[in-house]
Amino acid sequence: MISDRVKASLKREFYQSRAAQVGLALVVVIILTAVFAPMVAPHDPNTQRVGTGDAEDRSDLPPLSPIPGYEFTGVSEQTEVDPETGEFETVTVERPADRSYPLGTNGRGQDILSRLIYGARVSMLVGLLGAGLAALVGVPYGLVAGYIGGRLDDGLMRAADVMLAFPSLVLAIALIGVFQDTGFHTTELPDPFVAAAQSDTVPNILIPRADHVATMPEATTFPVTVTMVVALVNWVWFARIARGEALSIRAEEYVTAARSLGASNLTILRKHVLPNAITPIIVLATIQVAFIILLEASLSFLGFSGTDLTWGADIQQGRNGLSSGRWWISTMPGLAIIAAVVGVNLLGDWLRDALDPGIQGESGGV
Amino acid sequence: MGEPILRVEDLTTRFFTGEGQINAVEGVSFDVQPGEVFGIVGESGSGKSVTALSLVDLVESPGRITNGSVWFRAPDLAARIGKEDPDTAAVDGEMVDLRRLDDNERRALRGTEFAMIFQDPMSSFNPSITVGTQIAEAVEVQQRATANPRAVRSRTQGFGLLKFLTTSMVPTVDYVSEESRDRAVELLDTVGIPDPASRATEYPHQFSGGMLQRAMIAQALASEPSVLVADEPTTALDVTIQAQILNTLSELRAEYGMTTVLITHNLGVIARMCDRVGVMYAGEFVERGSLEDLFERPSHPYTEGLLGSSPALDNGARRLQPIEGNVPSLLDEEMADRCYFADRCPKAMSECLDKPPEFDADGSEGHRARCYLARDAYDPGDALPEGYFDE
Amino acid sequence: MQYGRFLLRRVVHSLFVIWGAATVVFLLRFLTPGDPVTVLAPPDAGDEVRDALRQRLGLDEPVHVQYFEYITDLMVADFGKSMEVLDRSVLDWIFWTRFLRSVELAVSATLIAIAIAIPLGVISARRRHTVSDYGATLFSLGGISTPNFWLGLMLILLIAVPVGFIPTGTPGPLLHEAVGDLFAGDPGTLGDWLRFMFLPALTLGTYFTALITRLTRSGMLEEIGKAYVKASRAKGLPETLTMYRHVLRNTLIPIVTILGLQLGTLIGGAIITETVFEWNGLGQLLIERINARDWTMIQGIVIIIAIGFVSINTVVDLLYAYLDPRVIDE
Repeated sequence: MISDRVKASLKREFYQSRAAQVGLALVVVIILTAVFAPMVAPHDPNTQRVGTGDAEDRSDLPPLSPIPGYEFTGVSEQTEVDPETGEFETVTVERPADRSYPLGTNGRGQDILSRLIYGARVSMLVGLLGAGLAALVGVPYGLVAGYIGGRLDDGLMRAADVMLAFPSLVLAIALIGVFQDTGFHTTELPDPFVAAAQSDTVPNILIPRADHVATMPEATTFPVTVTMVVALVNWVWFARIARGEALSIRAEEYVTAARSLGASNLTILRKHVLPNAITPIIVLATIQVAFIILLEASLSFLGFSGTDLTWGADIQQGRNGLSSGRWWISTMPGLAIIAAVVGVNLLGDWLRDALDPGIQGESGGV
Repeated sequence: MGEPILRVEDLTTRFFTGEGQINAVEGVSFDVQPGEVFGIVGESGSGKSVTALSLVDLVESPGRITNGSVWFRAPDLAARIGKEDPDTAAVDGEMVDLRRLDDNERRALRGTEFAMIFQDPMSSFNPSITVGTQIAEAVEVQQRATANPRAVRSRTQGFGLLKFLTTSMVPTVDYVSEESRDRAVELLDTVGIPDPASRATEYPHQFSGGMLQRAMIAQALASEPSVLVADEPTTALDVTIQAQILNTLSELRAEYGMTTVLITHNLGVIARMCDRVGVMYAGEFVERGSLEDLFERPSHPYTEGLLGSSPALDNGARRLQPIEGNVPSLLDEEMADRCYFADRCPKAMSECLDKPPEFDADGSEGHRARCYLARDAYDPGDALPEGYFDE
Repeated sequence: MQYGRFLLRRVVHSLFVIWGAATVVFLLRFLTPGDPVTVLAPPDAGDEVRDALRQRLGLDEPVHVQYFEYITDLMVADFGKSMEVLDRSVLDWIFWTRFLRSVELAVSATLIAIAIAIPLGVISARRRHTVSDYGATLFSLGGISTPNFWLGLMLILLIAVPVGFIPTGTPGPLLHEAVGDLFAGDPGTLGDWLRFMFLPALTLGTYFTALITRLTRSGMLEEIGKAYVKASRAKGLPETLTMYRHVLRNTLIPIVTILGLQLGTLIGGAIITETVFEWNGLGQLLIERINARDWTMIQGIVIIIAIGFVSINTVVDLLYAYLDPRVIDE
């Protein structure tokens, strides 16, 4: 399906464009981090370290400062018992950064860096799966509508248009409202690395940092509803593009030729229409992944995803900290989101420029 | 031959692309007499379109004219510039070197002395503005230039950002005046478009190819140009329409005495329209002269090849002889320092490995050919062996 | 086809879409697992109370009857009554204040976006490969990649906290109040309106600004490469006019459609921005009602948003067809 000319074009655009290289690097790093989370993360992201004793309490630690000579300080309120009077006092304590928590900790003493790493799992999974599902539903729908044409096309596309009557987030929220009380709101995905490290069957030498990995969370909570909703909201875009392509390809002479040779409609769809329509669909897919990552973050922020180990939820969690100087709790996850979406967008630009400069892209004609 | 209206000297245009430097036009020289039709003929990739664009300074990045002069006969302009700067190299008697002019002066000339028509009329018009309005714009440019030449020559050409903003905000103030619109309708009539008043309100996609090409000619006429540059004006049209358009051009030329530079790959068009012709190959003229010179006594083997490879009505039984091989690459690094046609030439000799200059050829006064055969007779004993240039 | 006929067909199509949307919204409620009555009734209520509540809410009727009533009610703009606070009609709760607040926010953000983005995109396209181009491209890449709730929080952190004015909590004045006061000689309310509107509009507008800059830039680059630009220069038209009257105009036309499509994103973004800044608009209400499982209200809000959305899209389509009549004949 991917011709040599296309491969050459992809390579050429990649080597010529610093942006494409940066994009690929970002996405690869984030995906690898997400996959190998238990090995990369310094701590268990869920462990809370709040206590009344100074020794155990690791809440609200500031991040390490990249600026030499300048240190961030965190401010934390603690309740202490005054030894003399026996009364409870609220004391504000200044805390310095701690090397083992390089990006700081949140109000519950959870390590932010570890949470970012695990949060990547949800964002990337939902982004890729959501877009994949949307494509899986939308592309065949659109191809059939465009290829058959006529009344069927009208009917199918009108139905799709109804979906487009709702702004994406509004529809997503409403759908979540419908599904949020169901049993399959979230599901636990077991982590193979942790299981392997904990079991005796796989020798620990095969797993880097095996002892550490064994202490990490055994399963990641995956927001099923959010993924489904996101796919439901976005499939129409794929349907529209696929239909447009099918319409124009249908009019091409090689299709008429194929039909006159007796090829069935299904064969034609599979062998002629789909391969030629694939280019704008791929471009749309990258745009969709970026959009879905942002959508998921928004839904998490609003508390609709059912798990709080996501970037969006962490941002929401850090809101209170903003007015009392604990800025890093909300800032860090946001930077992670930006990195991921920028990476995907740059990849999308690369694909668009390489596959078809005719699509409205950054490089106009010479 | 009298004094030329256009004299091109050593024009060189190069494109600086990511893949390397492309020598589109290399040291091209020719002159055009007032009122004549000068044809430039060649295959695709010979550099003829770029030459035309270079004349009116429409070469766009990554292309650039790197050398040469385009002398244009403009006594008033020459006098004015000469007065402003007596030592300027841009003026030579009554001729002005367009390349040495200010950007704005050159642009001003485009609206008044030079006009250009392009190959595909459908893409040369803005699809979302009516044809009448677009022609009226050309009229307006010419009107303003005549009425207020100084403003038009200024940096903003009498139309800066402020004026633009006002025009966009206040709908009653339009760039194009009513008189210009009326004139546009007149012009449409002149080129033979029926019912011009209502057609002027239509959009380009509502015109047929032939009609739209006429409209483009009308737009060119709006500038009341001294020189018309026509880049493949009939190539995109049906054969019958082609004939009509050529007729229209001939009529207009007879009526207005317009000098025309006609670019085409079609020898039939050349034969029909031109007084003198230049044959381009690999970015340079390989032969130029009168129509008769070229068709009756061609000197360059390429010209002979072109004539041999086109069908002639009176010689139907003769077999078409295509020219062997392909057009050479114009990439600087790939161009060899020899006669560019040698690898395809049936009469290549050993001296052709040295790049030949232009020699005078038999026939009329201006007949020149870039080939040793214009000077010496062909010596088969000195011929380069077959397959000499195969890698 | 004439423009008039096109207009008619388009309007009919949008009415159909609205009807479809209303049906979808209706179905959503029925797909919700669980019984609204269970959620809404007090926990210790007996069966009689539940039945009474069910009857009051009209939930005891068969589905098709409920649907029929729903649709007929909609046609007379009766969006039903809230399930939580019975007898308080949906319209009553929503209308004017909240709706206006949301609209003001959305319009302000859009105006800011257009005012900044189009010039930025044009400059970027005309001065390709210069510092301004790279800057604009970088900015627009960042702008479409930044979650706007995070941006809002960062703006609060970086601007509102140091300045000492955080536009959350109590809502600011509405525009008509501010303008009214202005004419009465008191510009203070307008100042208040600006102070409250500034950060939220900036937050909401950033995505759009970035997007439109990107589209304008790439659109112009593509148009500039087209043949008619050369022809326009050939006839001596001043470069400014070629750029604006021809290139920019043709670039903007498809952008108008894309804007219409992106309107959905704007509305979604508005909901989030409202949550961040406690803006008391329609969006914040929606979130609140979802958490309260107040289905009639949710339906009402969603359908109102959908109607607005479809209407604006229709207007945009009609505008596009007016600017580029080729579309009508497609």
